[in-house]
Amino acid sequence: MDVLKTLFILLIFPGGLFVLANGMVYEWADRKLVARLQNRVGPRWFQPLADLLKLLAKEEVVPESVNARLFVWLPIVALAGVLTGALYLPIAGLQPSYSFSGDLIVAVYLFSMLTLCTGIAGANTNNRFSLVGATRTLTQLFSYEAPFLLAMLGPAVAAGSWKISDIMAYSSTHPVILLQPVGFVIALIGLMGKLEMRPFDAPEAETEIVAGALTEYSGRGLALFYLGRYAELIAGLTLMSAFYLGGIHNQLDYIVKTLVLLLALAGVQTLMTRLRIDQIVGLWWRYGTLLVLLQWLVTLLLKGMVL
Amino acid sequence: MDFGKTWNEVLDRVKTWARLNSPWVIHFNSGSCNGCDIEILATLTPRYDVERFGIKLQGSPRHADVLICTGPVTLQARDRLLRVYEQMPEPKFVIAVGSCAISGGAFQGCYNVVGHVDEVIPVDVYVPGCPPRPEAIIDGVVKLLGKLQPAKQPPQEEIV
Ligand code: SF4
Repeated sequence: MDVLKTLFILLIFPGGLFVLANGMVYEWADRKLVARLQNRVGPRWFQPLADLLKLLAKEEVVPESVNARLFVWLPIVALAGVLTGALYLPIAGLQPSYSFSGDLIVAVYLFSMLTLCTGIAGANTNNRFSLVGATRTLTQLFSYEAPFLLAMLGPAVAAGSWKISDIMAYSSTHPVILLQPVGFVIALIGLMGKLEMRPFDAPEAETEIVAGALTEYSGRGLALFYLGRYAELIAGLTLMSAFYLGGIHNQLDYIVKTLVLLLALAGVQTLMTRLRIDQIVGLWWRYGTLLVLLQWLVTLLLKGMVL
Repeated sequence: MDFGKTWNEVLDRVKTWARLNSPWVIHFNSGSCNGCDIEILATLTPRYDVERFGIKLQGSPRHADVLICTGPVTLQARDRLLRVYEQMPEPKFVIAVGSCAISGGAFQGCYNVVGHVDEVIPVDVYVPGCPPRPEAIIDGVVKLLGKLQPAKQPPQEEIV
């Protein structure tokens, strides 16, 4: 029975299939919101599902001159990483399926797997566009990862614990978004960087470098990378609302808070145009990291004074 | 045995449904005067909003299902066109847009022109016009999708 229950948690609910289905719905919501903001009609509700099924049914071309085993396994590892990370989150307002002290760090690093795998996938192929895309992906990873992690650790420092459920308990009683507004903004923008949304989509800029690191991927591999991205959208939104928006207590809470965040993301995506890669790096290291460190200082001082 | 057959049928139907609802296109100019290309770009603007139908312009031939080809095929573009076509994963379809892509049009008989598109690669749908309107191009894609639907295909006996 225990094995069955574990498998159910891992594969169907709240891990696995549920996260993927939820991710597809949110991806549609995101595309629809952007379309409405641009005065368009936008895609139909099943669009991500149709895209996914079509990609799965397509031929998968493994180009010559790549390491075939790496080529096939990278998307699987990327998706598995994100789904594993999602197990430590309060998905859909439920308690996290698993937790231990320090799971925040593990989860955040598991979410970086997707970007890392995308980068390696690009570098694995012998295509110049993929290579440029891979360089940009990894450069961007190194620029947003530090501020994003620091911004996520802000509430952790305030709560005095690195366990996601403890931090959530802290944020339910304290207005974290008012205490750490800078951290919130930086975490939100960092999430956009992670998901390669519009101002930060230089790694896959289709007008310059075809499709970035994933140029050579077709069919199944591409579908798995897209799934990874959908799951990461869910994970990021959940983490943000758990830490900064006062925690997630029930299903309605979850839907409202994540959708508010999604609306903010869609707004920024519509307003902004693509930044160059050097602008992105400058933005993060010159302003993002410094501001977040300042925020830390303030948090620590406040904590010292209160205690 | 029977179960396997129904399973395959269901799978086929799901695949066809997915294909019908998410045609990703790639655009290739094999020597057109740019008139047709401007019309294709106009088709992709928010005014016509092809995302409604799931149509998405892809940069990489590896991601695309439909190759939209404009203009006559010049000697220079011939190899590139073939390469782009061969890089696309199966199943793939080709739409020839504009009179030039259909017959060579204004460029027929030029010293640097191979001819129309289906002398080089197989074409599924032809969209006439010089250049065709965006509505016509969307209609071309819809016609192509109609061809994919098994119900709308003429029965096999009639063809033979
Ligand atoms: S059909 Fe007309 S618009 Fe299109 S490429 Fe030929 S001449 Fe130009």
